[in-house]
Order: sequence, then C-alpha cells, then structure tokens
Amino acid sequence: MKELEIAIENEAGLHARPASLFVQTASQFDSDIQVSNVTRETAARDAKSAIGVMTLGVAQGHVVRITADGEDAEQAIEALRALIEGHFAQAYEEDEEG
Amino acid sequence: MIGIVIVSHSPKVAEGVRELASQMAQGRVKIVAAGGVDDDTIGTNAERIHGALIEADSEDGVLVLLDLGSAVMSTQMAIELLPEDQQKKIVISEAPLVEGAVIAAVEASIGHDMEKVNAAAEAASTMRKLM
Repeated sequence: MKELEIAIENEAGLHARPASLFVQTASQFDSDIQVSNVTRETAARDAKSAIGVMTLGVAQGHVVRITADGEDAEQAIEALRALIEGHFAQAYEEDEEG
Repeated sequence: MIGIVIVSHSPKVAEGVRELASQMAQGRVKIVAAGGVDDDTIGTNAERIHGALIEADSEDGVLVLLDLGSAVMSTQMAIELLPEDQQKKIVISEAPLVEGAVIAAVEASIGHDMEKVNAAAEAASTMRKLM
C-alpha cells in the first residue's frame, strides 16, 4: 500500500475539470485507489468515481490523502502527485475558466 | 465506450450541456445534442432525437439525459424508430440533466459500462453542493 498526503493548491480545488482529470488518471491504474479529504475529515472514496471525488469538497489549500493498493500502486501515486503538483494544467489547456 | 445524447426543450440548453460535458470528458466521449423543435423553437422533436441517437450510436450503448415532460415521450418515439437490436442498447436516464451529463461524461470517458455510468449519473441527484 502506497500513501500520499498532499495539499491541493490550484484555485478551483478538486472540482469540475480537475476532479474529472483526477478520476481519469486514477482509472489508468489497476490498483485500488482511495482518496479522502483530510482537512474536512471525510471518509475515503473511490478515486475512480467521478461522484466520489467531486463530493469530497476539496477546496484550494485542503489536504488530501491518497492510498493505492496493487501492483502499480507506486506509479499511480506518482501520476496523481504529478497531476496535483502541476496544478491540473491539462484541464485548462483550452481556456482559463474553472 | 458509451455515447451520450442530451435532450432538452431548448436547443441552447442542449448545446450548452453538450459543450460543458464534452469539456469535462476532455472530448473523449461522443456527446450529441438534440434540443428544440428546431434551432429556434422550444420543444422536443423525435426526429432530431432519432438523428442524435444514430450519431451517438456505439457498441456499448447510448445514454440519454433529458430535461422533462415531453422530452421523455419524444425520446421514446425516437427510440421506436430505430431497428430493434439498436433499441435495446439505449437507456433513458433518471438523472438531472446538467449534473448527470457531467458525471456521465466523466464516467464514460473512463470506459465504464452503461449500468455503472447511469448509476453514477443518477446519484448526481443526491450530490450535495453546499458542504
């Protein structure tokens, strides 16, 4: 089991397009991936579920905990870390709105 | 990957929801709008919806998100115009139009099947916005 606690620093938090990108990225891996909002003390949700991730209420500055369990757990955590550290730049390639 | 059809009384609403959901899915999902009687008239049109169902057709099926009232009847008529084997692959969702379309688009983009996509879209009706 791999684990990562990281602050979400992009302005929109983990809503809408960033959430969508998060779910799509998590879904590329076979591992069981869970995510919880540490700041709001939520239960862990399936990181591959759009509704699960969107209802975590992750706003800018919130800390999330991501756990991955499976053969590609490490790659999954690193991919999600890159996405978060890159402030979900891919979600905003088309325009500047949240 | 399933296709999605957006049915609304307003052509602008249908097109707007299509645009929003497409962007959320990074353009990976086939989403077709079927709004209005024509481009300027509020209402629903079975022929328009029929065309959209054909355009969005996929092996994995087509999920229809709609607003209310006659949108359901017109969609049912549109489905009846299709060959029988294609009719079985079309599901009308109970989900709220905007939220449901966004969730469905994201779930479809991951490659989830019809049952899973529609369940997630329908769960959007209980998704809290103010936390």
